[in-house]
Amino acid sequence: MDTVLEIRDLQKRFGGIVVASNICLELAKGEVVGLIGPNGAGKTSLFNLISGFIRQDAGSIILNGRPVERLPMYARARLGLSRTWQNIRLFPSLSVLDNLVIAPRHYGGESFLRVAFDRASIKREHERITELAYQQLSKVHLVDAANRLPTELSYGKQKLVSIARALMNDGECLLLDEPIAGVEGAAYEALRNVIRSEAQNGRAICIVEHNITFVRDLCDRALFMFNGQIIESGTIEELTARKDLTELYFGSEA
Amino acid sequence: MEYATSIVILIGLFVILAASFNLILGYSGLMSIAHPIFFGLGAYSSSLIVMYLHVPIVIGMLFGAATAFLFSIALSLPSLRVSGDYLVIASMGFQLGLLQIIRNLDWTGGAGGVTGIPPLFNLNNTTLSFVYVAMVLLAAAATVGLVAWIVRGHYGRAIAAMRDDEAAFMALGRNSVTMKITLFGIGSACAGFAGALYAFYFLFISPDQFDLLYSAAILTMVVVGGVGTVMGPVVGAILLEILPQALSFLELPTSITGPMQGIMFTGLVLLFLFAKPGGVVGTNRPKAFRGDEDEEDAIENGQPRGLADR
Repeated sequence: MDTVLEIRDLQKRFGGIVVASNICLELAKGEVVGLIGPNGAGKTSLFNLISGFIRQDAGSIILNGRPVERLPMYARARLGLSRTWQNIRLFPSLSVLDNLVIAPRHYGGESFLRVAFDRASIKREHERITELAYQQLSKVHLVDAANRLPTELSYGKQKLVSIARALMNDGECLLLDEPIAGVEGAAYEALRNVIRSEAQNGRAICIVEHNITFVRDLCDRALFMFNGQIIESGTIEELTARKDLTELYFGSEA
Repeated sequence: MEYATSIVILIGLFVILAASFNLILGYSGLMSIAHPIFFGLGAYSSSLIVMYLHVPIVIGMLFGAATAFLFSIALSLPSLRVSGDYLVIASMGFQLGLLQIIRNLDWTGGAGGVTGIPPLFNLNNTTLSFVYVAMVLLAAAATVGLVAWIVRGHYGRAIAAMRDDEAAFMALGRNSVTMKITLFGIGSACAGFAGALYAFYFLFISPDQFDLLYSAAILTMVVVGGVGTVMGPVVGAILLEILPQALSFLELPTSITGPMQGIMFTGLVLLFLFAKPGGVVGTNRPKAFRGDEDEEDAIENGQPRGLADR
């Protein structure tokens, strides 16, 4: 198995609150791993640590064999780490298509010198990226929405756009924060199929999700987080069968 | 005649300042107030290099823009690497500190300023002074055009995204710090060039011409005209440059007109922020990015591009 992401002894605390304590984790190519646990367990914080949005106190994060824990967020993305956000975070003043267009791993449009003096290659790149953006939008059946503003779409569709945007990065590591919350009906199926096929194409995918059915459908294995620690791992059946974990998840009945 | 000419030149220069400040504040969302110091750096460096080293004035003018550019990098590099919020404080300290240095150095003319700057050409000649007016207006149009080109093209798309949500932007692999430093540098270089145009027309510069009152004036022009619009700063600069001149015809005592400018600027900023945050030109809704290069490309016969391939 090719390891894409490896985390060793990751530590982070905010004052007295421990959000990550001795986190160790490996993600392999082609695998879909669920990260479950009650609210406040540190799941989103773990994503924030991996992507570089917050900085760890100690520990290492290795992406494709390369330590990235000291790199800024954009450098990790360029090395192939892509993520979505629980609260979606699309760019409201850009059309759906433009939200995707600025999202590839490498984008010449962010370099003033290239935009000013290398116009021909920027134009070619733009055509290629636009093509790719339409491909990603078609995966989530939102090609029709390409020229709309994100705020004109329903919450569920915005979520799908944010996932399509994350797919613009062709890197091997994909972190999805509650991808299915608010997504219903046919879109649910579509999203499940997208994640499955992305894994088959070699991505290592980690999903934070409260929808256990979705995790059971998709994930090869799941990790249970509580109080900043990964306290158990196994298949979702094994984890849901454990009465102690269920109690931690829902709160024990007094 | 000379009065009218210098008003038009001042309007042109303030259009450059307001348009380039709008690129920094309105489009890029960088909270800096030190725009006049780059105007001043351009004026000082261009006139001093011409006076001391006798380089041709046109070269001196370009040197003015380059100096402003380099100083802006020196300011933004450390402050933007930490956090955008530091730029407000850093820029204010930079402006006040640098002015204080200029006031206390001999070779910058001290508090009295620089006198005896050589003119680009004989400005007593009416035709040649019109040439200078034309140069300034051309530079103003070029600045507005440059800003429009930047914010509507591929770079503008990235700028809009960065301003919307910087963290999400960075998580996509975009280096927002480099972009901010670049934009700050471009805006400051424009201000520096305006400073050079100022120096070689008015032939006298002093530290007082670049202090916080002018920060307030430029900010007012941008806010009144319309933050984040291409034409807003033009409208703002014309209005705010003519208004004080019109007031001066009322022949009020200087004890009133002195503080009145500051009160007027502050009052207008507050008024517009509450009553019409989009300014004279803008709408009150946030503006969506509208690329002018790609729209025809994107839609062919009403069908989004790329559909035909599947």
